[in-house]
Amino acid sequence: MHGLFRWSSKWWPGLVPLVVLWAIAAWTSTSPLEADLAARSAGALKDTVLDKTRIEVFGRDVTVAADAFSEEGRRGAVASVEAVPGVRLVNDETQLVPRASPFVWTAERDVVRVTLGGDAPLPATKGRLLGKARADLGGVEVVDRMNLSRGAPPRFDDAASLLIDQIGKLKDGKFAITDTKVSLSGMARDLGGREAIAAALKNLPEGFSVAANEIKAPPYVFQAYKDPVALTLTLTGYVPDNNAHTALAAAAARKFFSEKVVDNLKSSVGAPAGFASAVVPALGALSRLSTGTLVVSDREVKLSGDALYDAAVAQIRAGLAKDFPVGWQVNADISVKPAAAPVDSTVCQQLFSDLLAKGKIRFESARATIDPDSAGLLDRLIETALRCPTANIEIAGHTDSDGEDSSNQALSEKRAQAVLDYLVKAGLPADRFTATGYGSAQPIASNDTDEGKAQNRRIDFLVR
Amino acid sequence: MAYLVTFHWGWLLASLLMGLAMGWIAVVHRGQGVSMALARWLAALVAVLLAAALARVIPGRPGYWLDLGLVMLTCYLLGCAAGSWLRDRMLARNTRAT
Repeated sequence: MHGLFRWSSKWWPGLVPLVVLWAIAAWTSTSPLEADLAARSAGALKDTVLDKTRIEVFGRDVTVAADAFSEEGRRGAVASVEAVPGVRLVNDETQLVPRASPFVWTAERDVVRVTLGGDAPLPATKGRLLGKARADLGGVEVVDRMNLSRGAPPRFDDAASLLIDQIGKLKDGKFAITDTKVSLSGMARDLGGREAIAAALKNLPEGFSVAANEIKAPPYVFQAYKDPVALTLTLTGYVPDNNAHTALAAAAARKFFSEKVVDNLKSSVGAPAGFASAVVPALGALSRLSTGTLVVSDREVKLSGDALYDAAVAQIRAGLAKDFPVGWQVNADISVKPAAAPVDSTVCQQLFSDLLAKGKIRFESARATIDPDSAGLLDRLIETALRCPTANIEIAGHTDSDGEDSSNQALSEKRAQAVLDYLVKAGLPADRFTATGYGSAQPIASNDTDEGKAQNRRIDFLVR
Repeated sequence: MAYLVTFHWGWLLASLLMGLAMGWIAVVHRGQGVSMALARWLAALVAVLLAAALARVIPGRPGYWLDLGLVMLTCYLLGCAAGSWLRDRMLARNTRAT
């Protein structure tokens, strides 16, 4: 031992090359060591949820800067870097992401892009929402303006995902989650979009509620065009469902006795309340026009066209004012078709016969009340009567053979008189017309079949 | 420490070999040794540096260089001790043989 002590006094010359060796070692090993420690530290943080992670190594000291999403996560991150072999000191520059109160997340759609903004709880959530938006809206630019914040309500991810699923149904607008309140505004892309979104909102996760749903739908449009040249009635736009479709097509067929109905209607939800009870009288008004267009847009009805004679304009307007449900707005722009040239009695009779061959004046069953569906036909008869101002016309009522002769006789007289009254009300002079009832005495078809009976129940116009 | 050894084993081995060589020579070296007073000073210096390293008071790269230097010095001293002891043992055997 004493020897060792004695020899050690002579070990110093080796220190000179040792220092040189040390200098070389320090010079060459510092950068690789730092790179190695940085890689190991980054590896240690791989499984920890952090944002904006920055690792700097000087010598064996590691500076960790990152935004953590919980206090445990923050401490865990520092501890796992401290546990990396070779790390001497950890400079902890981690911090918690700010807490958002209220926690607000938004998804905004305009013509070209969808912008996700506001607060998002975790990087993974943010990535998932962005990915979902890009997948759902293939081709639409998705812009990320989300900031990471703490304080998200439970089940936030599910609620935000549900809203992203709905954003494709918007033309433009904004969805927002404020804590647990969901608010929506904007315009739906298609008819029914508003209802589809409202239905989807029923599946919001527990705890979330809809604070405001101000999604608007595009106008619910129904159009009808009566073309007097092609003799067609073209129906376009939407009806609420198949039942309404059938009912509307049937009403159109009854009211437009000489026109072919071209039915281009589609079914869609989103019709305003009272749609059918507004459209049917509007079609009735259109049937009384020579040419005309009916446009129903939401609760606004626009009727334009030419009536067949002066008095019809006032009648149509009065009818529209009376028949519509509450809350509907009617705008009638009706002019009068120029009067056609007068014709002689023979032609007049021919015109009456032609009209009555195409359609029949209908009455309520076993009564003398004229069915409103016959208004279009009556207007045509009146127009024709106006063209032969000198002719005297007999209005002849006929019935089928069902029932007693006396009651049939009375009914036929009353019906003929009802038509006469209608003509007089339209402005024709009463003295040119006579109403006669023939009961079932002049059948034009067999009374043995229902079809024959239907043909026998009729009103004829006879020019005398 | 284990990390330093595995990462720098080449440098440490070089220090050890250098120490071994120096220790081998020191036994038969006739030159002037370090005086007792200087040896004390040097020991105190090393103790201070060791304390600084253990307390981790020197930050960043200088801290690392200090650690590296002390580990290399340790290897060198171990090498010296081993070298001197081996040389001494060999000399003693030769003396006995003659």
